[in-house]
Amino acid sequence: MADSETLAQGTPRVTRHAEPDAIVVQDVHKRFPSPRSIWQTLRHPGQREWVESLQGVSFSVAHGEFFGILGPNGAGKTTLFKCITGLVTPERGQLTLQGHDVQRATRQARAQIGVVFANERAMNWRLDARENLRLFAALYNVARSEVDDRVEHVLRLVDLADTGQRLLGTFSSGMKQRVSLARALLTDPPILLLDEPTRSLDPVSAQRFRDFLREQVVTRERTVLLATHTTEEAFGLCDRVLVLDRGRVLATDTATRLADQFADQVYRAWVRDPAHPALRDAGVRLLDELTSADGWFVVEFPDLGTGHDAAATLRRLVASGVEVSRFERMGLSLGELLERVVAQRGSRA
Amino acid sequence: MRVVLAMLRATWRAATSYRLATVFSLAGLAFTVVPLYFVAGALQGTMERSIQAEGGQYFAFVLAGMVATMIITEAISTIPSNVGSAATSGTLDSLFLTPTPPVVLFAGLSAYGAVWTLIRAALLLLGGAAFGASISWANLPQALLVLALLALAYVPFGLLMTASQIAFRTSGPFMSGILLASTFLGGVYYPVHVIPSWLQSLAWFVPLSYGLRAFRKLLLEGAPLLSVWSDVGMLLGFIVVLGSVGVAALSLAFRYARRTGGLSQY
Repeated sequence: MADSETLAQGTPRVTRHAEPDAIVVQDVHKRFPSPRSIWQTLRHPGQREWVESLQGVSFSVAHGEFFGILGPNGAGKTTLFKCITGLVTPERGQLTLQGHDVQRATRQARAQIGVVFANERAMNWRLDARENLRLFAALYNVARSEVDDRVEHVLRLVDLADTGQRLLGTFSSGMKQRVSLARALLTDPPILLLDEPTRSLDPVSAQRFRDFLREQVVTRERTVLLATHTTEEAFGLCDRVLVLDRGRVLATDTATRLADQFADQVYRAWVRDPAHPALRDAGVRLLDELTSADGWFVVEFPDLGTGHDAAATLRRLVASGVEVSRFERMGLSLGELLERVVAQRGSRA
Repeated sequence: MRVVLAMLRATWRAATSYRLATVFSLAGLAFTVVPLYFVAGALQGTMERSIQAEGGQYFAFVLAGMVATMIITEAISTIPSNVGSAATSGTLDSLFLTPTPPVVLFAGLSAYGAVWTLIRAALLLLGGAAFGASISWANLPQALLVLALLALAYVPFGLLMTASQIAFRTSGPFMSGILLASTFLGGVYYPVHVIPSWLQSLAWFVPLSYGLRAFRKLLLEGAPLLSVWSDVGMLLGFIVVLGSVGVAALSLAFRYARRTGGLSQY
């Protein structure tokens, strides 16, 4: 932890302060017994095999930072969330939330977090949104005199103040997810833990949900830990992301920098004349399917080397009279990024 | 207390949103009292001598037995079944993530069932009284106290099953086993002294034997509370001993579930 150290290039919004980080995960190990058939149990009752879910996971999240956890299924994301919330005890390691040790001061640590599960059945579907929130206000010890105001406030925040007495079971998936977020915000916690919160949302609802989250982080300075499989969330919301695979941290950086690091040196150019000799000499491939209606053809350069090399190629093309309207390096989707990080670093781990 | 009331209110509203189920649950009581009245009337002559010490009227005797059975069934089943259904539906995670201690959560989860059972038990007694069951209403507060102690003596079995539910996701066959043994040995349909002597010695380990005997003496005979002090003492003993075992089992189950990841479904 360094004073005023900028966390990531391209995202200078978050700076680290001298106070402890909001979330600190230090050398956390967790393993579970692997499931066995009855026959195996009877044959070898004393023998146990273990699945290592977390193997020395360490990272910290600064106050007001939006931090993403990425990883393929079975990477250990959910186990990590369970450890952070105190629902699972790690074999080894330490977790603190706002300076409170999750294992030793579970209640104080939990008071720092609002959690949104991917599972929207976390609330009672036979009650309306207000009834659900009033119940959780009591469970979270919100002062009796403040309950109604808090409930109305969070319902307004998630744009559900006008749902009246409609039972939660009749809500759409997006609305249910917003009620879950309202519950997480009831106590105005400094940290939000979100486990794939947009998994069951349509693209429009998901975008609105992300906009709301961004606003919450920016205006309320909340710290957000987000497990996600979504490109928009990893690249558009998260200040930094951590790539987890088979319980190991493979990389921690901004999603953009990781994508930059792991992407190929493949470039595309939008040109008027794909048969131009300069393009032929450069060994481009014409992408017919991407040709636009207004007559710009897309060509792909398989390997242009570094940024300097690409710039030099572009200069040469323009000097040769090639009309270029657009020239860009091909980025990676989140899936491709994960695949490459896991392939390159996972094998070394 | 505030949390328990909030959970009671929420469960009440959710349960009563199933209106037909609520009506059927109450209507079912009529189908219990009426046949019981006729069957008890038919057996009155046979049973009269053996139940002299507990009111002498077989209809009231069985009615009291059924009320006690209703109470102990609820005491045993309410926590494990509510924890089980909350785990299945996914609400348990969110409950455990609040700063509310588990013991308060369990009380809150059970509150609705307890109140609903009390209402049904009261209606059963009122229905019985309407059909001529001889009940000493003046002794009702003392009888209720004994019923409360009886329920508390059975709650630890519920805690043991909740522990099993939390650790292994099943409460196993214990509930039906305990209820069967209690009904068979505890004197619900006949007094304990009529069963064979070797079985009677097993009945000393069944809290219902003491609770039901005291309940009947108070409610059917109008006996003073002091006359049942030994039964009340035994119930208190069960509460302390079984309660300690239940709490210890629950604590171990929580630790085990946190270690194995079974505490959470998500």
